[in-house]
Amino acid sequence: MGTRKNDILQGTLVLLVLKTLASGRRMHGYAITAHIHGLSDQLLRVEEGSLYPALHRMEQEGWVRAEWGTTEKNREARFYSLTQKGRKQLTQEQESWSRLTEGVARVMRGAVRAEVK
Amino acid sequence: MAWFQRLWNVVRPARLQRELDRELSFHLLERVEELQASGMSRDDAMRTARLQLGNYTVQIERTREMDIHQRLDTTLRNLRHAVRALAKAPGFTATVVATLALGIGANSAVFSAIYAVLLRPLPFPNADQLVTVAQVNPKARQPFVAPVRLADWNRLNKTFQAITGYYIQDESELSGELPERLTRAFVASRFLQVWGVAPALGRDFSPMEEHFGGPPAVLISDRLWRRRFNGDPSVIGKTLRLGRSFVPIIGVMPASFQFPVRGVDLWSMSADDASFARSRELTWYNGVGRLKPGVTIEQARANLAAVQSALGLEFPKPDAEISSRIEPLKETTVGGVRSSLWILFGSVSLLLLIACTNVAALLLSRATARQQEIAVRFSLGASRGSVVAHLLAEALILAVSGAVLGLLLAAAAAGVFRSLAKNLPRIEEISLDWRIVIYSLACAIVATLVCGIFPAIRGTRNNLADSARRSRTSVSGGSRVQFALVGVQVALAVTLLTGAALLVRSFQQLGRVSPGFQPERVLTFQISSSWGETGDFKASKRRVDRTLEGLRAIPGIDAAASAYGLPGVPAEFQVELKTEEGRAETEPKIIAQGRSVSPTYFATVQIPLLAGEMCRDEASGNTMMVNRAFANAYFAGSSPIGRHLSQPGNIYIQTTEVRGIVGDARETGMDREPVPTVYWCYSPGQPGTHFLARTHGEPRAMAETVRRTMHDIEPIRSVYDMTPLVDQISDAYSENRLRTILLAFFASAATMLACVGLYGTISYIVNVRKREVGLRLALGAVRTQIVGQFLSQGLVVSTLGCLAGLAIAVAFTRLLSGMLYGVSATDPVTLGSVVMIVLVVSVLASLVPSIRASRLDPMQVLRED
Repeated sequence: MGTRKNDILQGTLVLLVLKTLASGRRMHGYAITAHIHGLSDQLLRVEEGSLYPALHRMEQEGWVRAEWGTTEKNREARFYSLTQKGRKQLTQEQESWSRLTEGVARVMRGAVRAEVK
Repeated sequence: MAWFQRLWNVVRPARLQRELDRELSFHLLERVEELQASGMSRDDAMRTARLQLGNYTVQIERTREMDIHQRLDTTLRNLRHAVRALAKAPGFTATVVATLALGIGANSAVFSAIYAVLLRPLPFPNADQLVTVAQVNPKARQPFVAPVRLADWNRLNKTFQAITGYYIQDESELSGELPERLTRAFVASRFLQVWGVAPALGRDFSPMEEHFGGPPAVLISDRLWRRRFNGDPSVIGKTLRLGRSFVPIIGVMPASFQFPVRGVDLWSMSADDASFARSRELTWYNGVGRLKPGVTIEQARANLAAVQSALGLEFPKPDAEISSRIEPLKETTVGGVRSSLWILFGSVSLLLLIACTNVAALLLSRATARQQEIAVRFSLGASRGSVVAHLLAEALILAVSGAVLGLLLAAAAAGVFRSLAKNLPRIEEISLDWRIVIYSLACAIVATLVCGIFPAIRGTRNNLADSARRSRTSVSGGSRVQFALVGVQVALAVTLLTGAALLVRSFQQLGRVSPGFQPERVLTFQISSSWGETGDFKASKRRVDRTLEGLRAIPGIDAAASAYGLPGVPAEFQVELKTEEGRAETEPKIIAQGRSVSPTYFATVQIPLLAGEMCRDEASGNTMMVNRAFANAYFAGSSPIGRHLSQPGNIYIQTTEVRGIVGDARETGMDREPVPTVYWCYSPGQPGTHFLARTHGEPRAMAETVRRTMHDIEPIRSVYDMTPLVDQISDAYSENRLRTILLAFFASAATMLACVGLYGTISYIVNVRKREVGLRLALGAVRTQIVGQFLSQGLVVSTLGCLAGLAIAVAFTRLLSGMLYGVSATDPVTLGSVVMIVLVVSVLASLVPSIRASRLDPMQVLRED
């Protein structure tokens, strides 16, 4: 896979999808993008080109379950839901996310202080 | 399941593609609708949605990659790293691969023999239905079936598809310049039906040809067809000149069909409806039958027993005394070599185990030496599983390379095996096919697990940050495990070596026995003749006499004789005798080995006359000799000389007068004590009769002269099987020899491997403790102390290994007891010398690294690190 500008956010995409599905609802891919888009006040835009490969990988890892169903408009779509394993993964990813953000924040503060000195 | 799914996706990309197509087009549709709702035109919405989704095909590709990429990637990366790491240690790699190649190669070679000889069904359709059918007469001691009885059995049984019979004789084919010996099987009706084999060319016998007086016809072997007729398909209808008759060829059998004996050339009908074949007393055939589908051998036995007891009521004499015996044909064919082959297989499996242990010890040393590297991997976040996987990948590469090399070895070994074991049944069927390849690969995988798992797990234990800090001078418990592994190798090597030594000793003992006759400087050969000729006893005897006279007239030949069966070559002709003079009821039955020989036999093989006089060539032919064992067993206190003996139930041999007593000779085999034996002094010259000539010089040098003289005397007979008696005897023990040679070879290889293991382990220990040794040397330790320290470590290990090995050997050599001669399974001399040998070589193996340790330059060592 070539490097893409959002590669660093690969990890966060998984986290966002897991969090989205944590409500317990079954959602199809399109609904997931819409949900993230909406909840982040249009700040985060899921790159659709990465979503499906990510969903697929998560399915292989056993974090999400996928099955075919029909939408209210009576269209065939693939619905995803969180598994027990996925829920565990979510906790882990949340922890490491908060550690990362905290770490980054500290570094930024330190850097600021250093500049001030 | 995830794994399965991934694999499935690799195999069935089309399905995945379809699913993805459906999912993405749904997404596209939703997006387009949303964009249209915000006021875009349909075309614009379509374009934007497409753009946002990115390249459609790339999407699909990336999703598919997700599936297989990860696992495949790590596996490949592991293998690639392993190859690179191994390439950096060529000495280590070569040692391990060679060790495994030896282990796997020897194992695959013996397995290919086991598979071809013991496991694979005989090369006939539904071969498990084939059985040998014998007639048992407690008096006659011959398994042959009377033609009439064979027909009765065929008619009355309910469990056989068919029963047939055959007998063999050697023929002379006279179309060429010299008579050519051909082996001909005379077969009863239904012969090919029983085998389920059709001629590759031509046809089976017609009903007309099955009857006495019907047209002559012969089937020829593929070998004869290629040799004599260059594989010409128009051979059908051509004739062979057999003796005085011309016989047309009606068919060619397939190359794989070599029954009843390997090397059979011709099959022709033995018509069982001839007037002379009607007697219920006559015995002709070796019986073979094919069971009906689903019939067990027990059912067939019970059924045929019932049939025979009905015949016993109908014909009380002789059928009431006769019973039948049924055995699986495969058992009769290969049963004799089963234990030898399994023992060989057991020993190569031990060899493989030693090889694996050796490799495990080497891998362990390597893992310990790489502790720092492994520790660094751990601290960089590698999981234990991934480090173990990495180490296992190395073991796998080593094992697979070993297996490939081993297969090459096995292919070469198969040729050696075939030349060493030409008497082994089904030897021609041994080949390296895909099953053997699979077997070797399975060996490799087992070897990987056996060799790799333990070092991998051990090497990755306690390997967190602290071990990275640990100094290299400390020796971990790892060396204890290595010594234990070396001890196991020594123990197994001692076990194998004990087995081999016992066999070698038996073989030596066998060479030292004095057999009671002189096998040296005796040339033996056979002359073709037919069973039919034996009907005219006088003409037969004249022919044998003419041959013997011709032989004696050759300058350089001191004596000549004929005998049915060769002395020293295992063969049993047990008979029960009665004296005409009568015996008390309380005295034991007279059971003896019977031999038909010409009166000159005793002079020719130099069996001394002890009492009485030598039997002479008398017109009546009714004289015999007995050996001392016979006289002692049945006529202790009196003398058998002048007594008359007869064999009840045998219509061929009349009452015979005992003329003298000769010395005991090992007639029934060099490894068997002489048993009571009677010699009938007459030579009927039946097929299978051997001629023996005592030569003045080297017997082989006389072969050509004898052949020419015989051709002058018997121009229409072929002379064959011309071999010195000593070679005949040694050929009879070739299976014995094969077993001994192979076991000795495996045992030496095992000992060598154990030495390599010991050498490697001590070298490793020396290497690990370099600093300590340097320090001690610097502080004034004497070099001999250093040598002694490492040497004694090696010696302790090998002594413990020897003790364990002896215990195992004593427990297991009982398996060999039937194969030993003149030496007990726990012979102290043998066991002692094995231990001595192993100790001496293990001292040598540990001496080299120990001396190297004592030569270390303390300054240089201490400056390192």
